[in-house]
Amino acid sequence: MCNTYIPFQMKIENIIDENPDRSLRTFDLSFVKKEDEEAFKYLPGQFCEFSILGKGESPFGIASSPTEKGLLKFTVSRIGLVTNEIHHLQIGDIVGMRGPLGNWYPVEKMKGKDIVIIGGGFAFTTLRSLIVYLLENRADYGKITVIYGARTPELFIFKEELKEWDKREDLILHLTIDKPIKGWNKLCGFVPTITKNVEPDPTSWAIVCGPPIMIKFTLPVLSELGFDDNIIYTSLERRMKCGIGKCGRCGIGSKYICIDGPVFSLAELKKIPDAF
Amino acid sequence: MIEIKKKQFGDFIKNLMETYRVFAPTKDGKKSSFSEIKKADEIVDVHTTKSAKSVFFPQAEVLFNYSENEIEVPNLEQKPIALWGIHSCDTKGLLSLDKVFKNAHQLPNNKMYEDPYWNKKYAESLIFTLACNEPLTTCFCNWFESGPFDKTGADIFVVDNGESFLLEAISDKGQTFFIQSGFDQEGEHQHAVFSLKKKAESMMEEKQDISSVFETLNEIQEKEFWEEITQKCINCGACTFVCPTCHCFDVSDEGKHQKGKRIRVWDSCMFGIFTEEASGHNPRGLSYQRVQQRIMHKFNYFYDNYEEHLCSGCGRCIRVCPTNLDIREIVKKIIKRKNNV
Ligand SMILES: Cc1cc2nc3c(=O)[nH]c(=O)nc-3n(C[C@H](O)[C@H](O)[C@H](O)COP(=O)(O)OP(=O)(O)OC[C@H]3O[C@@H](n4cnc5c(N)ncnc54)[C@H](O)[C@@H]3O)c2cc1C
Ligand code: SF4
Ligand code: SF4
Ligand code: FES
Repeated sequence: MCNTYIPFQMKIENIIDENPDRSLRTFDLSFVKKEDEEAFKYLPGQFCEFSILGKGESPFGIASSPTEKGLLKFTVSRIGLVTNEIHHLQIGDIVGMRGPLGNWYPVEKMKGKDIVIIGGGFAFTTLRSLIVYLLENRADYGKITVIYGARTPELFIFKEELKEWDKREDLILHLTIDKPIKGWNKLCGFVPTITKNVEPDPTSWAIVCGPPIMIKFTLPVLSELGFDDNIIYTSLERRMKCGIGKCGRCGIGSKYICIDGPVFSLAELKKIPDAF
Repeated sequence: MIEIKKKQFGDFIKNLMETYRVFAPTKDGKKSSFSEIKKADEIVDVHTTKSAKSVFFPQAEVLFNYSENEIEVPNLEQKPIALWGIHSCDTKGLLSLDKVFKNAHQLPNNKMYEDPYWNKKYAESLIFTLACNEPLTTCFCNWFESGPFDKTGADIFVVDNGESFLLEAISDKGQTFFIQSGFDQEGEHQHAVFSLKKKAESMMEEKQDISSVFETLNEIQEKEFWEEITQKCINCGACTFVCPTCHCFDVSDEGKHQKGKRIRVWDSCMFGIFTEEASGHNPRGLSYQRVQQRIMHKFNYFYDNYEEHLCSGCGRCIRVCPTNLDIREIVKKIIKRKNNV
């Protein structure tokens, strides 16, 4: 019997500060044991429980794509006990990991379709995973549009990659910040408004991930544009512990976010009381 | 059915202990709970304060010990458990918990989310359900297509007729135990058992028809309904700790960075901090939202997943509540609401 409560070991390979106030850090980790790497099969949208022995565990969306072999990437916002401890890690340190946990974006069902990806703030992590995955399997998908908003230009994560994507012909990238700032020559305005202006084709599949308030106002925009509830997907967050549907903590209605989610279609969410 | 005279009961338990770790109701000061026994005379015949869930799902349980980055899992290969003296309501509670802990979810890597700490202990156990001769006024197992003599989930069903225990093998495991112990099912005691059963049933409050509860709860939208129910509740969580079906737990690390253990401890949806996120956001920050969660989980959400209620009518939450909040009154309110519409 496999014991999902036991973390396996990973090693910190690289650390990147994502913003000037150093509250967001991206960690690249490698598997210490070959067998753990082989057992770790995942898809974009899934998450892990990152474990610091003596401090505890925290769930984070996987920011790397399964096409990037041998490493896992997480972007961690420093906000409490465990995340603070994670920020103190150094290259070479060994940490614990449990996963992959939860479900994933509908990458199979989206084959052959146009896709619009809408993200806000540092919740862009699993969207990065998705974008890298789609680009790696580019021929399987139609038009790809990405709308990504942050309060200020510094708060975008994966800045180098955003530059790369911006140059590509096969991906349309709309970056937006809340208020105009000198030197910023891209869009200004909140994500819901920009989405309305961009007017994605309602036959495309929509993946929305960001702070609750952004999700709350973006979903109606998509519905107004004519998107069906079954092709709008979003990812939810709740406090978690076990990650495997036992501890009861992440319940919303009769679902547990850790096993029935974190990815839900809008059609599913409408059946859950108080999902937002 | 076989008969074990009370005089022989000590020997029976002694024999049982050769193969099993025996758990039974014992006194703990003024309270009582299930714990491992060494001798038959430690056993008490009471409605225990705490439920029998602690036998398979202890209040605090070590998931693993760690030292530097080395992890050591406690030995799960222990002698199997025999559980003596558990009433039908708790036996049913174990069946509900088994759904949660055993329920396997499958991921792309074919991993199964089973709970190894619960599974092994429960799967290998021998459950002696003891018929409840004297239900309390707070007992309402009869609302749930059950009753004080319900054999559901038992390996062996036991009736105490005063002088003896009458044992009936129910499951395959129970049959095997009978064969191994050299018991044969002979012996006619049906008549005595029948009258004890009738007597116990007659001591219970009238049964309520709860078939509408799931549907009605789907329809209740307004928060006033829950605010009213919550008036007396102080969110102390006692109801969820004594409950045989509540399974929520917290996971935390004890010890220093270099050496310590990761444990799980019973937790409760009655506490605000249960769902409070690092950002300060709390989806169930208000008292009524937590009572709503408890009632909804028991009579709607769990039902949605498993077509049964997450309550066995044991009445413990009624007995333990410091403000006399009675879950039966809440369920009756829900039924009444349906009838009024
Ligand atoms: C599916 C999922 C994906 C996530 N992805 C990311 C990500 O990519 N990057 C990121 O920075 N954050 C992410 N989060 C949020 C992150 O898990 C919390 O910010 C983090 O657990 C806070 O832990 P802490 O110990 O620092 O805070 P404390 O306030 O000290 O929290 C103590 C414990 O409470 C739990 N907890 C508290 N807040 C949350 C929360 N919001 N969500 C879940 N558990 C919580 C954790 O078990 C934590 O260890 C994600 C959460 C979920 C559920
Ligand atoms: S909710 Fe109350 S009556 Fe029902 S099983 Fe739990 S403790 Fe017993
Ligand atoms: S009622 Fe509350 S404590 Fe009990 S299992 Fe449900 S969520 Fe957990
Ligand atoms: S985190 Fe334990 S049930 Fe979801």
